[in-house]
Amino acid sequence: MEMKAFRCIFVVLICSVPAIMPVATQANDTAETSVTWSRQIAPIFYKNCTSCHHPGGAGPFSLLQYQDALRHGLQIAAVTRSRYMPPWLPEPGYGDFVENRRLSDSDVMLIQKWVRSGMSPGSLQEAPAPPRYVSDWVLGKPDLILSMERPFVLNASGADIFRNFIFSYPLRQTHFIRAMEIRPGVPQVVHHANVLIDRTASFRHEHPHWEDGIPGMDITMDAGNTFDPEGHFLFWKPDTPALIEEPEMPWRLDPGNDLILNMHLKPSGKPETIVASIGLYFSKESASKKPMLLQLEDDHDLDIPAGKRDFIVQDDLTLPVDVNVLGIYPHAHYLGKKLEGWAVLPDGRKKWLIRISDWDIDRQSVYRYRKPVFLPKATVLHMRYLYDNSAENVHNPNSPPVRVRAGNRSVDEMAHLWIQVLPANASPGTDPRLLLEEAWMKHRLQKEPADIVALYNLASALVALREYGQATSAYRRLLVIEPDSVRTLNGLGTALENDGNREEAMKVYRQAVAADPKACDARFNLGTLELKSVQLADAERQFLEDIHDCPEDATAYSGLGVALAGEGHLDSARDQFRHALALNPQEFTALYQLGEMAIESGKPMEAAVLLSDAVKQHPDDLDAREHLALAYAQSNRLEDALTQLRVAAAFAPSNADLHALLSQVLSEAGQLQQAIKEQNIALHLRPDDVDGWNNLGVLEARTGRSIAARSDFLRALQLAPDDPQARSNLTHLPAH
Amino acid sequence: MLQSFRKPQSEIDSRSEKYCSLQYLSMKRSVWKRAAWIIFVSLYCSGSPAIAVNQFGVDLNGRPINNLMSAGTHAVVLLFVASDCPIANRYIPEIKRLNRELGTASVRFWWVYPNPQDTMNVVRQHQKQFGIPGDAVLDIHQQLTHMARATITPEAAVFVPDGAGMREVYLGRIDDRYLALDKERPHALQHDLERAIQAALGHEQIPQPNGPPIGCSIVPR
Repeated sequence: MEMKAFRCIFVVLICSVPAIMPVATQANDTAETSVTWSRQIAPIFYKNCTSCHHPGGAGPFSLLQYQDALRHGLQIAAVTRSRYMPPWLPEPGYGDFVENRRLSDSDVMLIQKWVRSGMSPGSLQEAPAPPRYVSDWVLGKPDLILSMERPFVLNASGADIFRNFIFSYPLRQTHFIRAMEIRPGVPQVVHHANVLIDRTASFRHEHPHWEDGIPGMDITMDAGNTFDPEGHFLFWKPDTPALIEEPEMPWRLDPGNDLILNMHLKPSGKPETIVASIGLYFSKESASKKPMLLQLEDDHDLDIPAGKRDFIVQDDLTLPVDVNVLGIYPHAHYLGKKLEGWAVLPDGRKKWLIRISDWDIDRQSVYRYRKPVFLPKATVLHMRYLYDNSAENVHNPNSPPVRVRAGNRSVDEMAHLWIQVLPANASPGTDPRLLLEEAWMKHRLQKEPADIVALYNLASALVALREYGQATSAYRRLLVIEPDSVRTLNGLGTALENDGNREEAMKVYRQAVAADPKACDARFNLGTLELKSVQLADAERQFLEDIHDCPEDATAYSGLGVALAGEGHLDSARDQFRHALALNPQEFTALYQLGEMAIESGKPMEAAVLLSDAVKQHPDDLDAREHLALAYAQSNRLEDALTQLRVAAAFAPSNADLHALLSQVLSEAGQLQQAIKEQNIALHLRPDDVDGWNNLGVLEARTGRSIAARSDFLRALQLAPDDPQARSNLTHLPAH
Repeated sequence: MLQSFRKPQSEIDSRSEKYCSLQYLSMKRSVWKRAAWIIFVSLYCSGSPAIAVNQFGVDLNGRPINNLMSAGTHAVVLLFVASDCPIANRYIPEIKRLNRELGTASVRFWWVYPNPQDTMNVVRQHQKQFGIPGDAVLDIHQQLTHMARATITPEAAVFVPDGAGMREVYLGRIDDRYLALDKERPHALQHDLERAIQAALGHEQIPQPNGPPIGCSIVPR
């Protein structure tokens, strides 16, 4: 009996690999025998395999030499034929991606022929030189290297694990990152890794024992109170050692941020000690283009009955602005089977974004388009995922199958499609990402009206869009769900304050501070509002409390400085601003205030340095630019002053003051015609400006246009009949 | 074919030790001499089963292994492994578990290294790295591989005493975690080898594996 059974198994084995049994001695097909390692196979492997399969690489064995290929030839034939290797999930024809690792049919065929015909080496002298791989940082020494707090020991056996490690960003100034390199420690056991930016270090605070790594496939973080959406996929897979961003699109790290490395680890058979590190390369420039990550998802409907083999969820989102799609990241766990994403354009045409027919979480990746995919406003993005919760799904983590819902454990499921978009053709003055956020959050609320994250994000976006009334009502809806939420009260206060309802805002901020006396944000806003209401002693008290509770908050010192300056304590104020800069050299208010003080103390060169830093922090702050221009003008750097004013005027083309200032500096620089032009623009925007007409008259007179000058002075006198300057200038004009 | 392998193993005597030693020593001589010895031995084996029975490779000190079982052994388990095979390596903790839980005086486990590149030093290093306990065999002439008809690492063979010799009752996968190179379960559902060993100990009919072994092919010597 045993023998019989044994034979059957043997037959099965033979049947399962019939095409890859080497038959070297019988090979008589001349076409097949002509396939050699040196001529055809080495170039295929060097192009497609050895980026992982080299000594020290992520692959479990090297394929650089003929002997390596010979050793694993049978397996290579099998895994390339089934397209398990190289790992590449998207179907061809459904999105044109860079780093496409799919082998061509002809390459697969060649490998099969080579193995079938006995894996001939050919003339090894003719083989191409193997590629060289560096074991150090690929891009050279990084500007900053972060390492895991403690080594992590991966067990020898068991199912794959997902672990999150926190790396704190230790610097006291913001940097933009042009490239990042992840060194996973033991690349052979890391399937992939994702880096997430935790702007508020919330994940660390939630997990007191974070140094050992925190289990979980997916995590949620507190993104903070300002609109600051993530825009980059920071995804590592074995053959992408360095993530290089487009020059205009570096990503930002601020003091206090954490990086979270989410690693998918596969036990190797022996315990592995992992010490991952992250290398960061700084950019000299800040981001001039800001992409955003959008998410389609349907976790709410993920409730898959045990045994169900074709469970479908879907989602869609209508774009409120034109975008270019840069990349895409489909994500499901072990039950995901078929993952599809596409767009329906306003004219009804369907454009595929991605299609994966045989999902495998082990080989997941971010996919970046070779060329950005343009999608006009009103395009509808779609996702449709199919799940197999039957026992036939070999990846099913539950045996027997059980009902599965959404969650971040590997036995739970997820239905996410992340899409990286760069807004296009945006109208000036509004950040188009806010419109995307508004559309996205409204859509989430349609699906789940009590989604508090969506409600909060929507309210924040509406504040930024200056839709204060709508924002107020969104915050009030949120307070019904979470009555004492300090964050919501603080947000509501901001909306009310911006809407001009200072009294109500102050009441709400006080409510927040009463609910939590250590609510630094609300206290800061209360102090700032008291400053605006010239309640300087109250404001001073709030900021002192704030500093007591949040001593690392540079803005609290700046607030105190402003209060003290308002009370006339200039030296004390200066000390507070300097303290703020010691905590954060890029603190805007401190830079701006100290810059202004330097101008007033007759130190324009010192002011220029401070204000130039301030402008770098807030490039669209017109006051800062105006003051910088003034500091430059006083330092006799007229061209620099003009540059600042022109940039400011580009930001606010209908600001009459800026054109008037431009006219003055141009006049100083001797460019009278340009000065007249700018003054005319200023007066066009503000026709009742007496000084403006007077100044224009002077410029006209200086260029010899007495008639025009006379008319300008008369216009000034018409507006202000007693204006002494205009009257005096009129008398100085030469007679006809 | 199976019969011809099965029979010789039934006879174990001290004479064959010398042949094994000689054969091993011959490895250190010139290539043609080594080849000649192999031919000689294999011819001799086919003609006289009593001599070939104890060609079981060598241990990590180079000493020939003549005896896979001792008095009281109810089952011999050969685990075919390779230091450079990722799937075989991933199975080491599971093999260690079986060894720990079932490897008593009555069940003898052997870690068999059949591939030429797994030299004594490589295997020593591998055993140290993976903390492999128990007995390793360098199957330097692949007698064990041929005897069990193993083709893949990892793959297991179970032998039970049969008269004065042994009889193979199981050959195949350890469990069903891997269904193909590209199909891996999070956890095994069927522990084929464990089931077979237990059946052997209970003198029951041995259940056979329900699928092929998955891993790296054994390299012919």
